[in-house]
Amino acid sequence: MEKQLEEILRMEGISKRFGNFYANKNINLSINAGEVHTLLGENGAGKSTLMNILIGLYQPTEGKIFFKGKEVHIESPDHAARLGIGMVHQHFMLVKAMTVFENIILGEKHSKGLFINREARRKEIIELSERYRLDIDLDQPISDLAVGAQQRVEILKALYHGAELLILDEPTAALTDTEVDGLFVIMYKLTQEGKSIIFISHKMREVLHISDRITVLRLGEVVTTVKRGDVNGQKLADLMIGRELKPSHYEKKVVPYDPVVELKSVEYNKTNKHNGLNGVSLAVNKGEILGIAGVDGNGQTQLAQVIAGVIKPDAGTVTLNGKQIQIFDPNSFINDGVAHIPEDRNLQGLVGDMSIADNLVLKETENPKFANGIFLKRSVINQYAKEMIEKYDIRCQGYDQDVRSLSGGNQQKVILAREIESDPDLLIAVHPTRGLDIGAADFVHEQMIKARADNVGILLISADFDEVLEMSDRILVIFEGQIMGEYSGKNPPIDEISLAMTGNKMGGKA
Amino acid sequence: MDSTFISNLLLATVRMAVPLIFIATAELYSERAGMVNIGLEGLAAIGSLVGFLMCFITGSAWIGILCGALAGILVNMIYAFATVTLCANHTVYGMAINIFAPALASFINRVYFGAGSQLNQIKLMDTVNIPGLKDIPIIGPLLFNQTPMVYLAFVLVIFTSIFFNRTKAGLNYKSVGEHPKAAATLGIPVIRIKYLSCVICGALAGIGGAYLTTCYSNTFTEGNIAGRGFIGLAAVIFGRWNAVGVMLACLFFGFCDALQIRLQVMSIGIPYQFFQMIPYVATIIVLSILGGKKSGPAAKGQPYRSEER
Repeated sequence: MEKQLEEILRMEGISKRFGNFYANKNINLSINAGEVHTLLGENGAGKSTLMNILIGLYQPTEGKIFFKGKEVHIESPDHAARLGIGMVHQHFMLVKAMTVFENIILGEKHSKGLFINREARRKEIIELSERYRLDIDLDQPISDLAVGAQQRVEILKALYHGAELLILDEPTAALTDTEVDGLFVIMYKLTQEGKSIIFISHKMREVLHISDRITVLRLGEVVTTVKRGDVNGQKLADLMIGRELKPSHYEKKVVPYDPVVELKSVEYNKTNKHNGLNGVSLAVNKGEILGIAGVDGNGQTQLAQVIAGVIKPDAGTVTLNGKQIQIFDPNSFINDGVAHIPEDRNLQGLVGDMSIADNLVLKETENPKFANGIFLKRSVINQYAKEMIEKYDIRCQGYDQDVRSLSGGNQQKVILAREIESDPDLLIAVHPTRGLDIGAADFVHEQMIKARADNVGILLISADFDEVLEMSDRILVIFEGQIMGEYSGKNPPIDEISLAMTGNKMGGKA
Repeated sequence: MDSTFISNLLLATVRMAVPLIFIATAELYSERAGMVNIGLEGLAAIGSLVGFLMCFITGSAWIGILCGALAGILVNMIYAFATVTLCANHTVYGMAINIFAPALASFINRVYFGAGSQLNQIKLMDTVNIPGLKDIPIIGPLLFNQTPMVYLAFVLVIFTSIFFNRTKAGLNYKSVGEHPKAAATLGIPVIRIKYLSCVICGALAGIGGAYLTTCYSNTFTEGNIAGRGFIGLAAVIFGRWNAVGVMLACLFFGFCDALQIRLQVMSIGIPYQFFQMIPYVATIIVLSILGGKKSGPAAKGQPYRSEER
């Protein structure tokens, strides 16, 4: 379809500085009416900062913004909304305790009177939702809605507040495939009606599917803006990361049976198909990566927790370095050389309000290297943190920065540094690259390969099938708490494995 | 137990509950904007003294009440500035108010009246009865033969309930306590509402304190708030952050208070201290039953920074 090429937004020479750090540097961006314009970039490339400037949450250090041909100084999100710029944040800005209806009318100013005219507002909202096919029950509390539905509420809210330019910040990150398709239908409908969309993502397939134009950001600067037809995935990835991607496969190893950990018929809450283990037997050998493939929620969490000593199995044995475990306690597992990259870095892996330095030594406070009796050796710890920041390429303002304020990739690097530096025999990595961009994910993978070379046994649990295929020397498939089969990591039989992940065996009964 | 006993008990219940209603509603407005203010005890104390003093000087209980409210606002601005602007810890500054304000009240009291033991008294606010309605048996005197402050307390409850449930401003206000970032993106002035909540909280807690000296007992004694600030805090939790619920909770605690006084008088060989414990024991029991459940505004007690990375 031919689209009118009227410019709705132009950002000129935008820079934003935090302390000495430029999050955005001299950015130029132009958005046309009725287009889907993608901002593509790694975590920390400056996409979110730029959008926060556009939405009025941050003030630019330098630069000009033109909206519909007029120069504007966007002072607040409210101001942005009045201009017609609405944003759907990656972490939804919805009040969980309120209903869909209440969330949508929150802050509205176009109606007069003190009281809420429910009938009139409802009618307006329903009209809007029908026009854009944003199907939603207005009376449900947000806390009862699935992620996809919450996102529709956010879009509807932005439209209700008069948005003509919609910013969607990584809208597909938390969606299922069907929900993503639904979102794309809505996006298409929106642009058909003349709305413009800034789409932020780092998922190549989606970007190539939905965008009209793509602007690539790297390290706070614009690399280039391209039309969709002019690029392919490989080219985009190169632009985004700024270097050639490595050949996609690491060397696969076959090691002799020499288990660092061995499970025999482990059961945990076995009647529960989604959060249980049913007769799991496996061994992770020294110097190999054992990948666990499977759809999320088939017992992976419990498997990791048993091997990290967080939960005690109901039946079966766990043998660590040849010693059968009697007491399940994370601390004794750590002392026995188990390192753990947990599935949720914010909930389990890091203390957000503590500094990078403190998080790095969290497990090592008994180590005479860092502590003198009951006192911590501050200068040693800080020096160590500086070394780790260098070695693991943790992008931050300094070792005393709170880890909460780091981007996801850099938070993961802090965990990685802490766990790998503890010189483990076994590394449990659960979804180690979830939510990370390609650059950070590659870095994590390289570190795992290095650890493997140091004879560490690695258990990789991931819902990302490509990651399991890329990394594993051996692959086990887990389904409803059971191990479905074992496959070689070298030339793995992909059809057979995917079938096993859905609970079926090749040539067997359904 | 005759009907006069019951009637008197209920009358006392309402009188005891009224200061609690003001204090607890103060906290309700505060917490709905995410501000957990445990300094109610202190705010009520300063309101109580200033109310008494101004009534003593001017002879008008109304001026006393008004000045009590202003004093509450002034003192609560310390808390507001520290927690909203400087993002300090709510509990620490609430506690600071609880230590500072009652001491300030005692200090002013002694400076003004000297350390002597003579009892300074004021004339209490007159009751206003509503003709016709006051003659209804039992509930007549209970509801329609009271000081205007009692009526005001119930009007406040109704107003608050409508404000939070039916008005746009109330919905916007609540969003500040639930998800201030979301509120800000919708153009709701988060900081201004947080300050406003502190003004309302200071005023109402100050009025609650002033009620005690101008409508309840006619003199100021140190420690006259006697834990009502904390009971008010409990009433907000007990009342599930809902104006009517909070009022019912206050009536319950008021009832416990009224009951204990009567049991003391009827004392049958049990040390009176046991009866005095009743309201506090009731508070503990109620909180331990309800304390763990769904707990109010999602962002309460959290600092809000507008430009955060």
